[in-house]
Amino acid sequence: MAEFLAYLIAGLATGAIYALAAIGFTLVWQTSQMINFAQGEFVMLPAILILAAVKLAGLPVWAAAILGIAAFIALFGWGFKLVIVDPMIRHGVLPLAIATMALSIIMKEGAKDGFTAEAQRFPSLVPQETVSFLGISISLQHIAIIIVACLAIGTLQWFVTRTKTGRQMQASAQNPNVALILGIPVAQMVMLTFLINAALAALASILISPIYLAKFSNGEVIGLFAFIAAIVGGFNQVRGALAGGLIVGVIDSLAAAYISTSYRLAVPLVLLVVIILIKPEGLFGRKEERGV
Amino acid sequence: MATVLEVEGVRKQFGGITAVDGVSFTVEEGEILGIIGPNGCGKSTLFNCILGQLAPTAGRIRLDGMDVTGMNPEQMNRRGVSRTFQLLQVFPELSVRENLILAGQEHQGTMLSRLFGARDAGLTAAADRMIGFFRLQHLADTRAGGLSYGQQKLLDAAMAFMAGPRLVLLDEPAGGVNLTMLGDLKERLKVMNAEAGATFVVIEHNMDFVMSLCTRVVVMAEGKVLAVGTPAEVRANPAVIEAYLGH
Repeated sequence: MAEFLAYLIAGLATGAIYALAAIGFTLVWQTSQMINFAQGEFVMLPAILILAAVKLAGLPVWAAAILGIAAFIALFGWGFKLVIVDPMIRHGVLPLAIATMALSIIMKEGAKDGFTAEAQRFPSLVPQETVSFLGISISLQHIAIIIVACLAIGTLQWFVTRTKTGRQMQASAQNPNVALILGIPVAQMVMLTFLINAALAALASILISPIYLAKFSNGEVIGLFAFIAAIVGGFNQVRGALAGGLIVGVIDSLAAAYISTSYRLAVPLVLLVVIILIKPEGLFGRKEERGV
Repeated sequence: MATVLEVEGVRKQFGGITAVDGVSFTVEEGEILGIIGPNGCGKSTLFNCILGQLAPTAGRIRLDGMDVTGMNPEQMNRRGVSRTFQLLQVFPELSVRENLILAGQEHQGTMLSRLFGARDAGLTAAADRMIGFFRLQHLADTRAGGLSYGQQKLLDAAMAFMAGPRLVLLDEPAGGVNLTMLGDLKERLKVMNAEAGATFVVIEHNMDFVMSLCTRVVVMAEGKVLAVGTPAEVRANPAVIEAYLGH
């Protein structure tokens, strides 16, 4: 039992990371109907940028963190929308999806060639220790991840549902034509979702890299699992992406422990297939109808 | 009575097709003007030109004597002109109350107050009054996408009134609405017209609805104005009978 609970907590911690990435996915999907196949690399890169600022420019860690996150949000929030999404989306969703696949390769190979192919240690905010609680040994890092991610998601949920700007974001996503007539700055609201997506990715990067180490290939699994989490939870709901992330994280952790480490990657995929077969709109999603 | 809206020689061409062909009419303050005509006669296109969703190919549109041709919908909205839609246009995942608050133009404020401000108490109260006026109290916290078609139409109309407009363009408010609800809608529009002095232009297919609601009717056919007059005059006009009522 103690062992099971330990795996459960580890799973919730990685699940919280998937949830952050998946929520960014769904926000961008709601306002732009685009799927970012570079989402995993969005989580990989901020840590690499911070380490590069420390090792190549000799900055102290805190300054590198501020600079790296700011640069990442500017480049992959604002710049991503302006340079890749806006010109490509006019040609349809598929060309844009392929462009994001190309971006993911460029980011991955760029991190490998521009920085290093070796996994790098990444500084942690909390000590790398475990504490014993009721006979279960719990990693402080896992607890910190769960707490920070929950705070971030709670704040985001409050922002989206309880503030004027949040409501305008929802209006822009649900009916951009009427939102425009009402004078809601729809273009700004769409940009805001891209900035929030980049900020969530940066947060996920800082939380996960002390455990997984910072490596150019980290995005592969994170991107896939975040995508599965978004589909399992329902693509049009923030709480769906949260639940999807946690479910995928826990299943992954338990599968590695009790089934087989070599097949662990397959288990969330099985979950994905089952969900698509029995509830294609996701656990919390609502069926969408689209006019042409 | 002052003239609120003046439409003068408005024409709209899409490539070689002329959808609206030199339409002129005026709307007086406090009146309910109906626009009728067969499908495809250019009624909705005319609305889109008036509200600035489409730019007219030729002609002028004046609001209170001021030329507003080519202004965008947001600018028209700020000048007190709002509209409802033929096809439903609500925010489906937001509650009825939240839809109304958004339609009340809560975005007019500073960046900071918009970002972190809580619900505007004044707007929430105004939304609740509108909910009461349209008798939607029991649905105030329901998400708009879950309402019936007729209820969504009522919400759509309520949204058009939230910003306290002087002129409301209603595009087929009765389309697909059941009889009971239709009576409600007509009665509410009449009260709104009498009490708030709101001026309406109504596009409608439902002849009974138009004839019993409107003070004057514009009949359109093939992009042109065929006749203008009171419901009784229009009904008696041979050209109208030929083009529309006769079918």
